[in-house]
Amino acid sequence: MTKDEFLTQLQDVLQRDDAVNQGDTLADYDEWDSLSKMAVMAFFDKNFGIKVTLNEIGKLQTVEDLIKLAKL
Amino acid sequence: MSKFNPEQRFIVTGASSGIGESVAILLNGLGASVVAVARNAERLEAMRAKCAHPENVFIELKDLAEDAGGLPAYLKSLKDKYGKFQGFAYCAGALEVKPLQLLAYSEMSKLFDVNYFAPVMMAKGFADRRINNGAGSAGVVISSIASFVSARAMATYSGSKAALAASIKSAAREMAGAGVRLNLLSPTDIDTPMAKMDPPAALREANYPFGLGKPEDVANFVAFLLSADARWITAQNYIIDCASF
Repeated sequence: MTKDEFLTQLQDVLQRDDAVNQGDTLADYDEWDSLSKMAVMAFFDKNFGIKVTLNEIGKLQTVEDLIKLAKL
Repeated sequence: MSKFNPEQRFIVTGASSGIGESVAILLNGLGASVVAVARNAERLEAMRAKCAHPENVFIELKDLAEDAGGLPAYLKSLKDKYGKFQGFAYCAGALEVKPLQLLAYSEMSKLFDVNYFAPVMMAKGFADRRINNGAGSAGVVISSIASFVSARAMATYSGSKAALAASIKSAAREMAGAGVRLNLLSPTDIDTPMAKMDPPAALREANYPFGLGKPEDVANFVAFLLSADARWITAQNYIIDCASF
């Protein structure tokens, strides 16, 4: 998966009308709630075989952090 | 009294007959735009002809049971075509009266497609923030008294409706965070084409002091639950009945 593909898929996982950008702060998204975090956990497991806890996801601050987690 | 305006769009499934038809006509009469979904074009047109504002009724042909898994994508395509939705009423369904010795897995599975999987996938699709209007948006799913009370020869039907009620309440809890509401209605015996079955209406009526229910009796409750008047109500399953049991 490329970075661009990751950003597009993340937009879908978060059900956002607006694009997701690398520099965005997650806390600025209205969509960044506990259910979205669970959806992101499942997204990482399914696409990258990476199992993260809700706690770990909660510590991430930016979209960039998520990209790093995916090792892209 | 007008509860809605044409900018408030509602998806009504099963809109070609029975409860769905009545819901579509009522919502439209109360001012809303309706995207009416069913399999039969002729009957949908006949429904539209009865509407107060037919210019705000949009017909979509779709077999929901055949594409239960694809319904979230289908809702997205409807949103791209019409705009975001204020709500939906899932009124499609099938009835099967079969004693245990006649139960067949393949038929049970088919009934679950239309009575369980399709409405749950519909709720999933509607929950998407890009599909609904956000806080104040609402959905109503028609369940059945069979989700509360057991009867003979209803193993599959009861099972599908009870499972539906459980899953929709769970979905409602997830959607509550976004201010979106989701409820179920469980009517007893409503006189619809679907319910034309044995025993005949005369025998069924004996239990109902006010006679069999009319589709409008359910539609009025649906319109209330979809309106702002029901702002405090979510994750509920209401019985509609007149002292029949």
